[in-house]
Amino acid sequence: MYLILDNVTKTFPPRGGVTEVTAVNNVNLEIRKSELVTLLGPSGCGKTTTLRMIAGFEFPTYGRIILDGEEINSLPPHKRDMSMVFQSYAIFPHLNVFENIAYGLNVQKLPKDQINRRVNQALELVHLEGYGHRAPNQLSGGQQQRVALARALVMEPKVLLMDEPLSNLDAKLREEMRIEIRRIQQELNITSVYVTHDQIEAMTLSDRIVIMNLGVIEQIGTPMEVYRFPNSHFVANFIGRANFIPGTVNTIERNSVVIDALGKTLVVTNPRPDLHVGEQVTIIVRPEAVNVQPQNGNYEGLVRRAVYLGNLIEYDMEVSGQLITGVETDPSKMEVIPVGSKVSVGFVEDCIQVLPAEKANG
Amino acid sequence: MAITHEKPKRQFLSGAITRIREFTMISRDPVLFLSLMISGMIIFIFVILPIYKTVSGGFFTPEGQWDLSYFARYFDDYYGPGLRLAFMDTMKMGVLTATFGSLVGFIFAYAIVRCNMPGKNIVHWLALVPTVSPPFALALSMILLFGRSGLITKKVLGITYVQGANDIYGMDGLVIVQTITFFSVAYLIIRAMLERLNPSMEEAAASLGAGRWHIFRTVTLPLLIPGLAGSFLLLFVESLADLGNPLFIAGNTTVLSSQIFLAVIGEYDYQKASAISFVLIIPTLVLYMLQRYYVNRRSYISVTGKPASAQIIEKDPIIRWSAIIISYLICAFVILLYATIVYGSFSFSWGVDFTPSLRHWEHTITRGVEAILDTTFLSALATPFAALLGMIIAWLVVRKKFSGKEVLDFSSNLGGAVPGTILGIGFIMAFNTPQLSLAIVIYALLALFFAQAVGKNALERITILILGTGAGVLVSKLETATLYYLVGGIYILIGLLQAVQKKRFATVAAVSLVGLYLMSTNWATQLAKPISDFSRTLERGFWSNAIVQFSDHLKTLLQPPPSLMAIGMMVVGVVILANIQKRSLRIPLGIAGLLVPCALFFTGVPFALVGGAYIIMAAYIVRSLPASVRAGVATLQQIDPSIEEASNSLGADAQYTFRKVTLPLITPALLAGLIFSFTRHMTSLSAIIFLVSAKWRIVTASILSEWEQGGVSIAAAYSTVIILFVLIAIGVLSLITNRMFRGRGGVDISQGF
Repeated sequence: MYLILDNVTKTFPPRGGVTEVTAVNNVNLEIRKSELVTLLGPSGCGKTTTLRMIAGFEFPTYGRIILDGEEINSLPPHKRDMSMVFQSYAIFPHLNVFENIAYGLNVQKLPKDQINRRVNQALELVHLEGYGHRAPNQLSGGQQQRVALARALVMEPKVLLMDEPLSNLDAKLREEMRIEIRRIQQELNITSVYVTHDQIEAMTLSDRIVIMNLGVIEQIGTPMEVYRFPNSHFVANFIGRANFIPGTVNTIERNSVVIDALGKTLVVTNPRPDLHVGEQVTIIVRPEAVNVQPQNGNYEGLVRRAVYLGNLIEYDMEVSGQLITGVETDPSKMEVIPVGSKVSVGFVEDCIQVLPAEKANG
Repeated sequence: MAITHEKPKRQFLSGAITRIREFTMISRDPVLFLSLMISGMIIFIFVILPIYKTVSGGFFTPEGQWDLSYFARYFDDYYGPGLRLAFMDTMKMGVLTATFGSLVGFIFAYAIVRCNMPGKNIVHWLALVPTVSPPFALALSMILLFGRSGLITKKVLGITYVQGANDIYGMDGLVIVQTITFFSVAYLIIRAMLERLNPSMEEAAASLGAGRWHIFRTVTLPLLIPGLAGSFLLLFVESLADLGNPLFIAGNTTVLSSQIFLAVIGEYDYQKASAISFVLIIPTLVLYMLQRYYVNRRSYISVTGKPASAQIIEKDPIIRWSAIIISYLICAFVILLYATIVYGSFSFSWGVDFTPSLRHWEHTITRGVEAILDTTFLSALATPFAALLGMIIAWLVVRKKFSGKEVLDFSSNLGGAVPGTILGIGFIMAFNTPQLSLAIVIYALLALFFAQAVGKNALERITILILGTGAGVLVSKLETATLYYLVGGIYILIGLLQAVQKKRFATVAAVSLVGLYLMSTNWATQLAKPISDFSRTLERGFWSNAIVQFSDHLKTLLQPPPSLMAIGMMVVGVVILANIQKRSLRIPLGIAGLLVPCALFFTGVPFALVGGAYIIMAAYIVRSLPASVRAGVATLQQIDPSIEEASNSLGADAQYTFRKVTLPLITPALLAGLIFSFTRHMTSLSAIIFLVSAKWRIVTASILSEWEQGGVSIAAAYSTVIILFVLIAIGVLSLITNRMFRGRGGVDISQGF
């Protein structure tokens, strides 16, 4: 493992009151070389504090940070061989684009021709050839973002840190830059930690996603793992949308489990191994795993709301007293079923996740 | 938000632990620690201590006995009526000035922001002129125009004054003068509010069917209330603090500030002056706190934000043109007042013979050259210190987290907020008598810091502390000349040592220069003597006086009070001696480095500053500090804190980051601070009026004494000189700023007033 956070906790001194604020609570994280890991979570979840601890702007109250086998807890930021891209870009307003990118190389007192070569390479990498003499205030937001990225990349850091770098861009540009960043990261094989609160950003960019909430890591996994097998109510809700259906474990078999839910029984394959008979559970079903059809479904439902969105139709259906949201994406079924109709509701078997009830609510 | 842990039982303990942890964190960051230490110390010595001395002085007789008799006088039948009348008159003056000043300020702001006024740039600068002129310039000019032998009253209208007739002297004249003097402050506050008022709010009200007057009453005015209240309270405070105008034009009306002045100058009764100061400081502080903590919090409009993009333009021609015309008229009046001052300085004999003459100017630039040069010298010398200190405090307040930040912020403003007379009395009371205990406390704090910064472990620190202090106290008993040769020699030795170690030439030179500077205290008189001898060979006049002053100033530069020099040497010592790697060098150099300030601290009578130049500079700095802090805060708030972090994360250490990023970015603020400080210094009167001495004359004080002796035209000439110097300084500095920072937002000069 290249970068390791070992039991890292950060408490801030009380502001006003006497209670300490724990921003990051006992975080364990291992990042492989050349991997891009995203810290994802709502604001205040501790993701930025975690990143700033890796960068050295904050020091952990407890725990260790290890880079390439060496503990770096007490190293100041400028000795860590990491560079950071900031949310506000933090371009030096008194230097032009070239000087901005060359800043870190000048600190290292590299020879002039080498600086020139590397800065020009970096400019090329972010598609800003010929912009070297521009002043920062002559650049658009997207271009400033590219300068900030180039300035960090030119250092060839051991770890590239990015703190919500795209949050100040408009939607179109953000989409473009997401792809750019991923391309550059894979081209240079650079180990990266990326902080965002935008799940789509996390899904498109990451090798692995770390979902944080209230200072604690909720789940770590590839984009597919965290979407398909969320291990908590929070994760399921934060990444995409989900129906949460209460149920009770009826019987446990070798590769499946039978659950009483919505007044019927439901067979779930490949369940978690820690379930036991009679346990209260929550069934998590994504809206796109809900089938809405005139007949043949497992459950009877009543359409309460139907919204046509062009590429899909969204239905809210009442199934034995609970509202279930489902979406119809099949282009051949774009006839909206009217509100009040009786429908048959079914769940796609492989896409159901079962969690112990207390875990799901916890 | 993040989780909070409740630890009710360990609350106190964990609170204490956090403090200790915080303190160790701060002491690990030497730059932060040093700046906190120095700014805290200067504010304590020159703001808190003097104010405390003044406030407590009213309760004790000069012999130190508890005595309330001066306060009891307010309630007896003999003194009572007069004292109570003065108090009520002061409040009346405050209310009237604040009301009219805010009104005029509002009209100006409205005309400039919303009425599309022709020539609004000129009007804007004219509105600011009163803030850069000496405090009584307008009173003087009002008297020249409307006094008993005024240009308008006597010459134009032909009114001859008869006993008992209503003249310009008194409450009415005072309020007019104060309104014109202080309305700039109201104008700036209300203008900022108006500009940042989002037009869509009024448009929303209009789209909901509200009429113009209704909108003004229910939307615009309520949103502006905090601004109006803030300006009212600030003007009230300024009016109470004003000394110059009441002295000139109050006539038979007495206000508290002039009562304090007379108690010191006329009766030499410091207890009485302190007691009245106490009566004055209570309403001042209440109003100030109200403005700072209540009005600012209730504000709906964030003043730090950018102005709204589009402004609503007043469409009603009657309202528009009345606002414009009133503003023009007041501008014309301001121009008239200042023109009168200049005209007055050239008139042969005001009130009798208005023919132009140069005789007052001849007097001013020969006999008055001493005051003019002294004032300029002290103002200019204090300026970099004030601007730098303001910048440091602004940086601490905006960028750093530490307990007591609020206190630092508040007390740095206090020196400018309390009436200057109160500060002046406090300076006399605090620095006239020896303050050994003060010197010991300050030395102890600084020495602890010195040891912390230079030593690497507890043993080293204790060794440096004890041996350094011991040696220092011994050296302080030496004869003064020997002492200075010794401490200067130590620094030259350190410089030689560094030369041997192949340090950079600049460092070696700087250290040796410090040593030479310390030694030169002994040579100051010899150095200055040939210059003053030379001046005696000249014919008496401008040049001979100017050259004598120059020799005096040279001597002053080389001979600062030892206790102030000690504080400086403590800082120099930390800068030079921190981070010595070799242990065998660290301890002896640490001891030697501590010896120097220690010896300087305890030689002679520490902090006996009264009568010298440095106490006047200290008063200047304290008075101008709030303005330069504000300029710094405004600039720093606009600089994204992650810019410094970006530099850090690119491999630059704190020192490189400061040099290459922070410094270039804050230079505009520093220059603005220089402008504000110099202006404040040149024009201050109330704080330094008690501090001037035969050796150190200050123009503002000279104006007062000339005026008292009937030299109206000479007073006018002095005032012209001050205004001219200030305008030149502002012009030069803003020219430099515009040259340096073209294209990335220069300095908004109006920010600091």
